[in-house]
Amino acid sequence: MASLEIVAVGDRLPGLSVRFTRETLVRYAGASTDFNPIHYSSFYADQVGLPGVIAHGMLTMGSALRLVTDWIGDPARVRSYFVRFTKPVVVPDDADGTEVVFGGVVEAVDDALVTIAIEAVSHELKVLGAARAVVDLAE
Amino acid sequence: MPITADHAGRRYPPTPPYEVSAAKIAEFARALGDDNPAYTGEQPIAPPTFVAVISSAAWESMFDDPELGLALRRIVHGDQRFTYRRPLRAGDTVHATLTIDRVRNRGASDIISSSVEVETLAGELVCTAEATFFHAHEGDA
Repeated sequence: MASLEIVAVGDRLPGLSVRFTRETLVRYAGASTDFNPIHYSSFYADQVGLPGVIAHGMLTMGSALRLVTDWIGDPARVRSYFVRFTKPVVVPDDADGTEVVFGGVVEAVDDALVTIAIEAVSHELKVLGAARAVVDLAE
Repeated sequence: MPITADHAGRRYPPTPPYEVSAAKIAEFARALGDDNPAYTGEQPIAPPTFVAVISSAAWESMFDDPELGLALRRIVHGDQRFTYRRPLRAGDTVHATLTIDRVRNRGASDIISSSVEVETLAGELVCTAEATFFHAHEGDA
């Protein structure tokens, strides 16, 4: 687990891979109460010109943060978190769904505040932009 | 009437009180496939992005505002920032207050910047959730 004594700029966090299926989207819709139909209905996704049903941006954002909270252990240390939703994550209606791979690197250490730059890639496209989490690793 | 730059500064009343429950935290953590032990046990905290559950009620006050002419199915989340004072905990009762910070009309879409303050009923600020939404105009998608 990360601790302030051993964290340095440039350190890479252990990677994380997740797989979103339509079940994941339905589960997240219910848990989050975000029932925008573009996250479960091909009809509505087509109607707004999307290439298919897409994952909730917040599902990708929440999943990406696991990279950081798995690393620091205690999620209460997260001070801020930003992402830009750059590409939709299309989730086909099949058994395999879509894989999203997350990576992170320590970008800055300012006293106990550690900034982590996060990457999220699905089908070789970056689906999150400028993603940064700031965590407080003070004792 | 469509949303315009003149709607910047519009602030909605706080959402109805929301009590954070251990069951909802567990449901949300499971939906993220996240088994961090902080989200279970006797005094669970909520995953940081759980704030979206509370923010969504505030976002709806804007999306459903008849004066803005928005349609949920034509809205896409552009970016999101959370700034935390502390984690949400099971047993917290909070509400969320949304302010429209900025509106830009760009061709066939509107770019809406908003901020939501999540506070306890006692007025303690727990988190701020700033979001940008893209709203596509009808028929132009």
